Amino acid sequence: MRLPIPERGGRGNAVAVMAALAAALLLPAALTFFFGNDYPVFICCFILIYIVAVSGLDIVFGYSGQISLGHAAFYAMGAYGSGLLVNFLDFPIIPAMLAASILAAAIGALLAWPASKLVFHFLSLSTIAFGEIVYQIITHSPGKITGDFIGLRSEFVNLFGYLLDRPGKFYYLALALTALFLLAKTYIVDSKVGRAFLAIRENTHAADGMGINVRKYKIVAFTISAFYTSFAGAMYMHMVGYASPDTALQKQSVLFLTMLLFGGTGTLLGPIFGVVTVMLLVEALRDFQDYQVFIYGILMLIVIVALPGGLYGACKDVFHRLADKPGAMGGEETGDAA
Amino acid sequence: MLLEARNVTIRFGGLVAVNHADVSVQPGRITGLIGPNGAGKTTFFNCISGVYKIDEGEVVFAGRRIDGLRGFQINEAGISRTYQVINLFRKMNVLDNVMVGMHSRLRQSFWASLFHSPGQRSEERTALAKARDMLKFVGLERKAGYPAGNLSYGEQRLLEIVRGLASDPQLILLDEPAAGMNSGEKAQLDVLLKRILGTGVTILMIEHDMKLMMGVADYIYVLNYGSILAHGEPAEIQRNPDVITAYLGGD
Amino acid sequence: MTRKKTLLMAALAAAALIVIYLFLVNHAPIKLRRLALTGVMLGCIYGLIALGYSLIYKASGLMSFVQGDIMTIGAFLGLTFFTFFRGLFGTGEEGESNVGTFILSVLLTTAFAFLFGILLEKGTIRKLLNKNVMAIYVVLATIAISYIIQNGAQIIWGGIPLPVPSVFTVLFVQVIGVRIQPEMVLCVILSAGCMIMLHFFMTRTRMGTSLRAAAMDAKAAEACGIDVSLSTGLTWGMAAGLAAIAGILVGPIYGVYTMLGANIGRKGFSAAVIGGYGNMYGAMLGGIILGLAETFVAGYASSTLKNLIAYILLIAFLFIKPTGIFNERAIQDV
Repeated sequence: MRLPIPERGGRGNAVAVMAALAAALLLPAALTFFFGNDYPVFICCFILIYIVAVSGLDIVFGYSGQISLGHAAFYAMGAYGSGLLVNFLDFPIIPAMLAASILAAAIGALLAWPASKLVFHFLSLSTIAFGEIVYQIITHSPGKITGDFIGLRSEFVNLFGYLLDRPGKFYYLALALTALFLLAKTYIVDSKVGRAFLAIRENTHAADGMGINVRKYKIVAFTISAFYTSFAGAMYMHMVGYASPDTALQKQSVLFLTMLLFGGTGTLLGPIFGVVTVMLLVEALRDFQDYQVFIYGILMLIVIVALPGGLYGACKDVFHRLADKPGAMGGEETGDAA
Repeated sequence: MLLEARNVTIRFGGLVAVNHADVSVQPGRITGLIGPNGAGKTTFFNCISGVYKIDEGEVVFAGRRIDGLRGFQINEAGISRTYQVINLFRKMNVLDNVMVGMHSRLRQSFWASLFHSPGQRSEERTALAKARDMLKFVGLERKAGYPAGNLSYGEQRLLEIVRGLASDPQLILLDEPAAGMNSGEKAQLDVLLKRILGTGVTILMIEHDMKLMMGVADYIYVLNYGSILAHGEPAEIQRNPDVITAYLGGD
Repeated sequence: MTRKKTLLMAALAAAALIVIYLFLVNHAPIKLRRLALTGVMLGCIYGLIALGYSLIYKASGLMSFVQGDIMTIGAFLGLTFFTFFRGLFGTGEEGESNVGTFILSVLLTTAFAFLFGILLEKGTIRKLLNKNVMAIYVVLATIAISYIIQNGAQIIWGGIPLPVPSVFTVLFVQVIGVRIQPEMVLCVILSAGCMIMLHFFMTRTRMGTSLRAAAMDAKAAEACGIDVSLSTGLTWGMAAGLAAIAGILVGPIYGVYTMLGANIGRKGFSAAVIGGYGNMYGAMLGGIILGLAETFVAGYASSTLKNLIAYILLIAFLFIKPTGIFNERAIQDV
């Protein structure tokens, strides 16, 4: 069976990147022209934010092989943390986003510490528990500073006097930030650290024998991942100017996990594929809100049973077959012959 | 002595798996560890390499107590190992397996990795070149891009050895390197072991293939029911009546 | 554990219970007595769920997230059977004793859940493992199935809790001076019965010994002629059966609703960790500790804290004693 090979670095072809960037730059104008309103651009902003969040989840799941079922907690902590810092401590927005994410990542490191000594399942338990605790705190905050069930309002980003109060304006900031986070991900993955993550995912005992401090790197992976997802939450807060307690619900964690699995784990493009398709699917199935979790479950099961490389893996396979050149897994057929 | 295991004992519940074992490894030589199935050979390796914590005794490596250290610390200290059951990173490619083996020798910090600093990049380039050289050392250079899980059994054994050598160890523990190899590969292994010794790496090895063991080992320890039954040069061991009974009568 | 040690522990536990009982009857205020009783009842439910987790972990080295959902299904199935048989055998009048029909429903539901558990293992888990899928994906598969069942139940039965007709003729019984629903007593007795039966099944029967051997070392057990695949399937079946029993027992007390199992299933993990993940006895003890903690926090602190205490305990135990009360080491990694 074909399983995804996590990708690391490589000189991506510059032309494709430039083309993608040009398309991304022109997208809002085209969408607004085509649909006549900026709702599609709003969705695009969400797609960018989710790409950051899901790429973060990929670092912990796709690379280091640990399950987190509570990443929504970090998403919410980023959103609420940044909002609270802006509202109550008068932080400027960008430093607030950073501070909130760093704080959330630090809490993430602490949470990952006990689970790092245990078999991978146990991170899923502590993250579930943590998610529930965060949800309860947000909805039952002291002095109702988080707005409890109503949610929290905060400000739009003000970039050198230019207020990003419309999705069309926020989009470009989000694009730049997302690009930055994706670049950082390729850098982390293409280094000693990234190899250590993969080694842990593949075989913790051998990783230990090869001089990798398994516990430390498990915590590092989770911390980076928490930082990514929290920052995505902070972006969401200041794009919409509001965060709802629903962001901390388990359903949100499930959404992230579904996007990651469906797109393909352990790759740069997988999360992007996953976020875009699942977002479009959710939009298309707006009338079937009640069936959402059901659909997530089915998507996950399809991937696990039949599409281990996710959508991206499948696309790559088809591409390689059409181009008739052996893919990264091409060695499979010939590997034993030589 | 490069490695001195004194009085090493480990118990699992009521079972004494390794019982007051004394083993010394001299630098620059191949020391063998043999014994019937279930004698505790692999368990002994696990005691040295930090997989298990020993209940009694001490392990001294290059003048330093290493018992009680965790596995990765022992690798950092200069002992590397291979596994009886192949333990490669199956979905990573062959080259990356070797690169992981270098982990404890790479200096790049997390932040240097995050920003791909010039220092980090030059270190990666050097490491990559070295990894390719090491693959050439065992003749796997043409398989560099293949997922490790796709190699043949014998090739996987070789890759395990290279991965172990990648951390520039002073001592490598080889757990049945010839298991699953065909006779041609075994003959080459003989030469390879000598070449490894030539690079200044000392070898402690478990092996069931007596022909291979008696041919390459300088000194042999025999383990039976967790205790050292005999030790000596290969010729002495072959004549030792206790060893012969243990192999023929026991088990 | 040796026989002597087991007996000693049983004796100690019995002595502790007697002391607690005497204290409650003679000195404790009525509120404390009521909370203790509710706590034990709730604890038995958590215990049954956690027992399933532990059995599965020992047999397959996996976590199953489906337990809670099997509990939900068990509750609905149990209600369906119960209503059906009441219509069939009884007169349907108020105040009629339905103990017989209830027990019949319990048995039938358990049988169905048992089959479901085996099918789950054989149809999904085993298939994935045979395809050499990484364990992490197998766990994810159980999560996916759990979401499907959860949402499926929501779609089929809606969000409104359904009442379960009472099982007994009397509405209340007196226990240590507290008036409680007789169904609560039934719940505790049946859970304790399950636990004792499971203990004897595992330690005294050939089948149970095979199951334990298969869980301990699959290869060695296979070599001794034990059908490991069958054993694993049966274990998943038993875990499912226990979850369904928990569901049907809790029905008459809390009513039946679609998120019932999801909530209790999630908190059940806490019970398993408290007792020592993978330990049968630990699961039950952890369940009762969790049940008591929840009711006491609800009684003396706040309901917000009550919703959190399970998770706080879970994280606290992972920090301080991840191997749980029974020091179960199987969960440690490098």
